[in-house]
Amino acid sequence: MKIGKYEFPDDLLYDKEHNWARVEGNRVTQGMTALGQALAGEIVYAEVPRVGRTVEQGQPFMSLESGKWVGRIKAVVSGKIVEANGDLEWESTLINDSPYERGWFAVIEMSNPGELEALFKPSDPAYQAFVQEEAAKYGK
Amino acid sequence: MHVYDLGSAPWLHSQLVYHALPRLGMEGLILVSPAEPYVCIGYHQDVSQEVDLEACQALKLPVFRREVGGGAVYLDGGQLFYQIVLRREHPLARGSKADFYARFLEPVAQTYRDLGVQASFRPVNDIVTAEGRKISGNGAAEIGQGVVLVGNLIVDFDYETMVRVLKVPDEKFRDKVHKSLRENLTTLRRELGTVPPREVLVGTLRRNLEQVLGPLEDAPLPPAVWEEVARLERTHTAPEWLYGVHRPAGERKVRISGDTQVIRNTYKAPGGLIRATLEVKAGHIVSVDLSGDFFLYPQDALRDLEERLAGAPLEAASEIIAAFYREREVESPGVTPADWVAALRMA
Repeated sequence: MKIGKYEFPDDLLYDKEHNWARVEGNRVTQGMTALGQALAGEIVYAEVPRVGRTVEQGQPFMSLESGKWVGRIKAVVSGKIVEANGDLEWESTLINDSPYERGWFAVIEMSNPGELEALFKPSDPAYQAFVQEEAAKYGK
Repeated sequence: MHVYDLGSAPWLHSQLVYHALPRLGMEGLILVSPAEPYVCIGYHQDVSQEVDLEACQALKLPVFRREVGGGAVYLDGGQLFYQIVLRREHPLARGSKADFYARFLEPVAQTYRDLGVQASFRPVNDIVTAEGRKISGNGAAEIGQGVVLVGNLIVDFDYETMVRVLKVPDEKFRDKVHKSLRENLTTLRRELGTVPPREVLVGTLRRNLEQVLGPLEDAPLPPAVWEEVARLERTHTAPEWLYGVHRPAGERKVRISGDTQVIRNTYKAPGGLIRATLEVKAGHIVSVDLSGDFFLYPQDALRDLEERLAGAPLEAASEIIAAFYREREVESPGVTPADWVAALRMA
């Protein structure tokens, strides 16, 4: 669905750090939303996380760089990284050009599926309000 | 806000103090110049691709990977660094990245104007003179509990050592970088013919930053900071840290300023390898050197093509190359106009 001028696929869940989560069984693929990449600007580097690394919901586990600014990406759920998108090393702008498809970050095997309850559906009024506030705050 | 004026400090402290403060949840303005020269790469850079490590060893230059973005740079006491550390929830840390940079770099631009240099802030994060020359380097990062802006007043700059320590594909590339740096990066010394005393630089900068940061009060760094610096010294000088980033080897690109780059592209046409070394400024080809193992006849055709491209917008390259083939009777077996365009692509 669209919130403002940005697309938020209905089959994904979201957090308030501009991350999306695609849940498939016990695995979650994480990436950045269309609004998130617009706020970031052209991404010149992405630090691809190491497969096997343990991550914690809400804690940084990788970084992106745009405009000489290094920003940290927080894990959308806790668990272990079982796949990482190596294409981002070659083409970090995949995150800008294809945030929901080719620009995915990592696949996390969840250690606590209950954490999914902290995430939002795009139809959730609280999430829609967050997106609209962020877009207005940053003029996007 | 506290000001930690470290004066001329060991180079490692000039880096680690701003890495330590946000990890401790502290805020402050750090002013410092490194007492010794060193080479510094950006957080996401692969040191083996960016820096000539043998040259650094021969020159006895330490190499450090910072947590702030940006590129590889040679730093010494010729720069006065300001490092602004804010907690993430601080009102001055909120807003877009563009707003953040503008908020703190406008006062720095004003500092240059107060010192007699007509400088202005140019988004994203450059400060340039009226002639468009960069006169300050800036970057930012989210570190620990904070957001950090690191930048410098470029009082003086060693252009020769800067290009000496960069990893380059060949000397032609190095020469182009050197030339571009001299043309596009300037210093207070070059602009004013003299160097103002440190107390004038610091006083002017503090006065302008105070307009944004609020009252500034000198303070010593507490013991907890030095303990954190000692801990970071162990982690951030370890080889695993410096060599921690491995990037696939791609085309070589050196960013000179916000709108200027020197790029080496290689492209394999059916008729041979084409190497293009180009300086691009604001979307225009300043100059291009073309070489490779292709065949192009007559002999002066290559120089003619380079001259036609010099000064042109990059997006006009395709038309220029097409016109070149129309107007001159050139032979280039296995190399088509489309191949030249591909060789000139922006990496």
